[in-house]
Amino acid sequence: MAINDKQTFTIKPKLKPTTKKSSSTPEQKYWKSFKSKEPQPLISSITSLAFSPTSPHDFAATHSATVTIFSSQTLQPKSTISAFKDTATSGCFRSDGLLLAAGSLSGLIQIFDVKKRAPLRKLSGHTRPVHFVTYPRVDKLHLFSGGDDSVVKYWEVWSGTHRSFTGHKDYVRCGDGSPVNDHMFVSGSYDHTVKFWDVRESSNSSALVLSVDHGAPVEDVVYLPSGGLVASAGGNSVKIWDVIGGGKLLHSMECHNKTVTKLCVAKIGDDGRNGDFGNQFRIMSVSLDGYLKVFDYSRLKVTSSIRYPKSLMSVAFSPDGSTRVVGSSNGDLYAGKRKTSENAESVKSEWGKYVGFGAIDEPEKRVLRPSYFRYFHRGQSEKPSKGDYIITRPKKVKLAEHDKLLKKFHHKEALVAALTAKNPENVVAVMEELVSRKKLLKCVSNLGTDELGLLLSFLQKYSTMPRYANVLIVLAKKVVENRVEDISGSEELKGYVRNLKRSVAEEIRIQESLQEIQGMISPLLKIAGRR
Amino acid sequence: MRIYKTRIDDTLNPSPLLLKNRDTTPHHSDTTPPLTNNFGSGSPLQHQPVIEMIRGGKSFVSSPPAFSNDAKKLLVCTGNTVSVFSTDTGLQVADLEGHTALVTSVIVVPSSTPANALLCYCWTTSLDGTIRYWDFSVSELIKTVDIQLPVYSMVIPSFLDRQSENSETQPDTYAYISVEDTKTEQNKQRNLRGQIRKCNLSKSRLVRGAILSETKKPEKITISSNGKYFGVHEKRKIRVWEVPTKDGKNISHRNIKLTHTKNLSCIAFHPTDRIVAAGDATGRILVWRGFGDKTFADKDLENEKVSKDEDDKPGVRGEGDADSCTTWHWHSSEVKVLYFSSDGAYLFSGGKEGVLVGWQLDTGKKKFLPRIGTPLLSFTSSPDSSLSSISCADNRIHILKMPRMEILKSISGIKLPTPVPDMFRGSCNDFVFDRTAGLVAVRTENYCIQFYSLFDDREISEVQVCERNHQPSDDVTMILNLVALSFDGSVMCTVETRMAEEGIGGFVTLKFWDRRSQNNDYNLSTIIYEPHRDAGVSAVAFHPTRCMAASASYGGDFKVWVSNHDIQPNDKLIQRTRWACHAVGSYQKKPMTAAAFSNDGSVLAVAAETVVTLWDPEKNVLVAVIGSTREPIGNLSFIGDSGFLASASHGANPQLSVWDMSKLSVSWSYKLHVEAIASSDKDSHFAVLVLLPEPSNAEVATSHNADGAILLFNAGEPVAVASWFVTKAKGGGLAFIQSRSLDDNMDENDNPGSGLLAYVNGDHEYAIFNPHGLETQERKVRHTDSVPSLEVTGQSGYASIYGKLPEFKLNAIEASAETVTPSERPWETIFSGPSHSLPPLTKLCSAFLESLLEKRSGDGLVK
Repeated sequence: MAINDKQTFTIKPKLKPTTKKSSSTPEQKYWKSFKSKEPQPLISSITSLAFSPTSPHDFAATHSATVTIFSSQTLQPKSTISAFKDTATSGCFRSDGLLLAAGSLSGLIQIFDVKKRAPLRKLSGHTRPVHFVTYPRVDKLHLFSGGDDSVVKYWEVWSGTHRSFTGHKDYVRCGDGSPVNDHMFVSGSYDHTVKFWDVRESSNSSALVLSVDHGAPVEDVVYLPSGGLVASAGGNSVKIWDVIGGGKLLHSMECHNKTVTKLCVAKIGDDGRNGDFGNQFRIMSVSLDGYLKVFDYSRLKVTSSIRYPKSLMSVAFSPDGSTRVVGSSNGDLYAGKRKTSENAESVKSEWGKYVGFGAIDEPEKRVLRPSYFRYFHRGQSEKPSKGDYIITRPKKVKLAEHDKLLKKFHHKEALVAALTAKNPENVVAVMEELVSRKKLLKCVSNLGTDELGLLLSFLQKYSTMPRYANVLIVLAKKVVENRVEDISGSEELKGYVRNLKRSVAEEIRIQESLQEIQGMISPLLKIAGRR
Repeated sequence: MRIYKTRIDDTLNPSPLLLKNRDTTPHHSDTTPPLTNNFGSGSPLQHQPVIEMIRGGKSFVSSPPAFSNDAKKLLVCTGNTVSVFSTDTGLQVADLEGHTALVTSVIVVPSSTPANALLCYCWTTSLDGTIRYWDFSVSELIKTVDIQLPVYSMVIPSFLDRQSENSETQPDTYAYISVEDTKTEQNKQRNLRGQIRKCNLSKSRLVRGAILSETKKPEKITISSNGKYFGVHEKRKIRVWEVPTKDGKNISHRNIKLTHTKNLSCIAFHPTDRIVAAGDATGRILVWRGFGDKTFADKDLENEKVSKDEDDKPGVRGEGDADSCTTWHWHSSEVKVLYFSSDGAYLFSGGKEGVLVGWQLDTGKKKFLPRIGTPLLSFTSSPDSSLSSISCADNRIHILKMPRMEILKSISGIKLPTPVPDMFRGSCNDFVFDRTAGLVAVRTENYCIQFYSLFDDREISEVQVCERNHQPSDDVTMILNLVALSFDGSVMCTVETRMAEEGIGGFVTLKFWDRRSQNNDYNLSTIIYEPHRDAGVSAVAFHPTRCMAASASYGGDFKVWVSNHDIQPNDKLIQRTRWACHAVGSYQKKPMTAAAFSNDGSVLAVAAETVVTLWDPEKNVLVAVIGSTREPIGNLSFIGDSGFLASASHGANPQLSVWDMSKLSVSWSYKLHVEAIASSDKDSHFAVLVLLPEPSNAEVATSHNADGAILLFNAGEPVAVASWFVTKAKGGGLAFIQSRSLDDNMDENDNPGSGLLAYVNGDHEYAIFNPHGLETQERKVRHTDSVPSLEVTGQSGYASIYGKLPEFKLNAIEASAETVTPSERPWETIFSGPSHSLPPLTKLCSAFLESLLEKRSGDGLVK
């Protein structure tokens, strides 16, 4: 018995089918919240990316024969080091962030001062290209490296001497230092193995602690933060190994379609907005198929998947969890920064520092008198307090032009208004409404030449689209039948009809080829169903 | 609670039905004809079985309602009774029962002074040939005038004529009535059945010889609100009579005729001036000003009037006696409603568009009350013209706050049946029952589904299935075909069809709705466009326990739909259900015409034209095919847990068959035209609604003009357990519903499992009764127990000065100290209220002064 206030119903288009996973999980939202701006075009394939361990966490990208250091605040290049004879690889910051080591395809390892960009040391020892150079996590005096000569080396940087570890049978392309012990490191090679080394052992054979078989050429290997687990990438899979448990395979993640090129460990920043997954670690992997996948290794589940337009070569995630950079094979650098309320605020306060010329006196609050204009607006911008009961103004239904015209029963004008608005869904919805008023054909016969041209171009564009074909194909036929005189009288309309004919012919061709395919598939299906 | 004996009347006739061979020839020769075995074969009236019964679903809009004098009550003609509704709450307060046929008009005796505004007397007329006088405050019949002719309309001029009230001797009350002449034979030949006659209500007789006019059919009389003129419209002319000032024996009634070129549909008189307005079938409103200047003018003035120029009568046709005639045109189709506001400044009109138009009489400017959404039928105003009511064709009365034209309350009856185009006749169900809640879901015209409580006789909610505005057009282009409810009523499925215009557009939409928790509104969960390509859906059936539904189509396939709940863990646990197709099946490409799930849900029966196919709904495997009938099966129903399946087929060879599921063969069948089947969920009883073939050779049936019968069967036996005659069975429906636990006395003396049988006839009137009971007692719907306060207390006008009228009871003196609560400060409320409802200023003045001196209270009158 309630009073029913009837409202006007607007013309609504048919609903589109929605996919089941229409809404993303909070974690997907988190990963999507790294807003990438335009990709930075660098010269060629980005071979490695590395973040500085110290704030403000600048990052270095190696590409072509240069290392470019970017600011993580502005995501713009700060400085460029181009003291390479060949392509630079595997940039790595020292633990204090002051020095940067990088390898190169010439086999030379160089160490630079980040500020001065001058090479401090040149370590030559590898005879073939070096793809793996890394500092231990804390130790400032040593380096690990591996090269295509299948030798892994442990460098004493100050003296330039090194110790070689042999055991790999193919190119060594990757490795990582242990996060818990600066004397332990791991290397991965194209001979499908991941080997664990301990530099404290004197002999080469006892230095090789452990070796596991990945089953494919190993492209990258990283220690997970606990130091007990190692993730290796090779082929299409990422495998997680238990080092303490004697190199047991814990899980194999196979969700990439092409070779996985790089891994990195990402720590989700805990800024209070991330709910229950803050301060957790994820493995990020990039692959030649253009996907960046985020893998939660505690739940053994891929939690997010982001597609990039190019094959990806490298990935890095800043230690404070605010910046994510992805490098692609053609030199595009996708750097994304997460928007946080704090940094927005800090920017603001800084801005205020520059702009403000000291404290400006607040204008005195003057008593409002009826002679002021503001007097008549007083109280209008009052915000409701918490306990207030808010009486909302009845929401006004916004009517589109065609809705207004349909309400007035101006049918032809409504159709023309919908056609000029150029939203095909609305046009078809208006047509359906006209059909249910039995007025569509009358409208068609009333259209002027220009309006008819509008309708014909619409029909040409959309009548072969499966969503609208049901209505539009029959309508196109009727339009051509009913308005044949007008069409033959105008050159422009003839052109539209010619286009329409062409698109219909095209569609027929497509349908025929689809039928051929169906004819091929259906016997196969039948056979498959019989089994 | 009052208990009444059932009369033999038109909705449901509880006399035993003797089915003999002539009517229902069993086409299986080995079965015996059904005989009512529990009532014996005695005379129907001797063994009148008495069954407790609830009825309802009356039409509220068959005739215009009337306001009581204080505008707190609205008297609505509902079938054979007059229902009194409170205008404050919109709920029913009382019932006037007594007429034995349709009540056609109700007139409230007006109060001449504000003092007796609480008088609650009214006159009613009915097709049973009586005019009755009631006190509707206590629902008491005071007087009956039997004139033995069906009365279609009545007006009482003296009620409206204020001058005549002042005379001391109460003159006789005369009424003008429109009757159907059923007596004189000669009128039948002349084909003039309607008469307008004069009736002396005080002396309870017709005034002899006073037949004012004869028309082809009885017309509705309209009277001016000053009681001076009344008129009728007949085809293309209006006849207006002047009410004679002195009522004597041989008074001639002067009348004039005004003509028009189109059929007229309604007329209205101006309250003060000689203006009459009429609406015609094309939507024009004609306003004649100064009608009857020549005919009705007083004798002495006549000469002056005649001297006026006779030729200058703009717009007036022929010999019409009027000064001028103007035409207004806004309505696009027939004008149904015309009404002058009480001050005569506005003319209200309405019609099929569902828009109330208020015309400013002097300027012709319009204001609108749009989006009522259904054709308007009548408009009435309360005596103080602060409220008015519009009756709408969808059985709803809106109460309007008047100068603003704003809907205050709506009184909704059950929605009336909507016309269905022929092509959809087979695939439409008008209503479905929610068995557990005792609701019926009725399809309405505006693509809505109304949920109506059978026990409370009240609308529960309305669901807008298709968001489309009301379009006033004749041809149906879009129709809500099917409604189905799941067994617990939590899921609803609707099918709507848009018709194509010369092959363009047109599609079928299947929608699933789910009900959140216990509030009664359904939310749309899934829309499926064109569920069976372009073929129409013939039936939808729900699985009894699981979230599963089956839809059968004429296109030769059926689909099983399942819902999967996906609970989203992030925000507030929003639970969404989606329905997706689970399986598709077809049988020899035959059109599927009906579908039903068995009571445990293990078998899905789908009728493929003349055979019944049985499927496993989970695995979508054809289990068995049974039988064949002569005509396509239109209705399938599993009978409880008994392992029987009932099927009904229509057409030239209608058939009711009961199939034995264990033997996969027909158990028994009759050649009956079955309109509906209802089976109880527990035991093996089922009831069928049968259309009686031909009333021509009937000995029993025609006396009650019943055209249908309800037969109650036990599935195993082909002999009917019980039977009832019913009227308007075409388009009716049946269902077993669970009785309410509140109605403990309802089923205390019978087996509790069986539940009640609800019957809804083609006009959506319904009756609920216990099919197994032996005693019938009609029971009124208990309105009062669910309605806490029907009257709103508030004092204005009279009551603010004098306090409430004291109740003259014996114990009034003892209780008087508490009963009356005059307002503490009467000078504040004394002048509140509309000016026309206040007492005259002279009275107010003295009362005001007195109120300043001392407190006066109503109990002083008693002491």
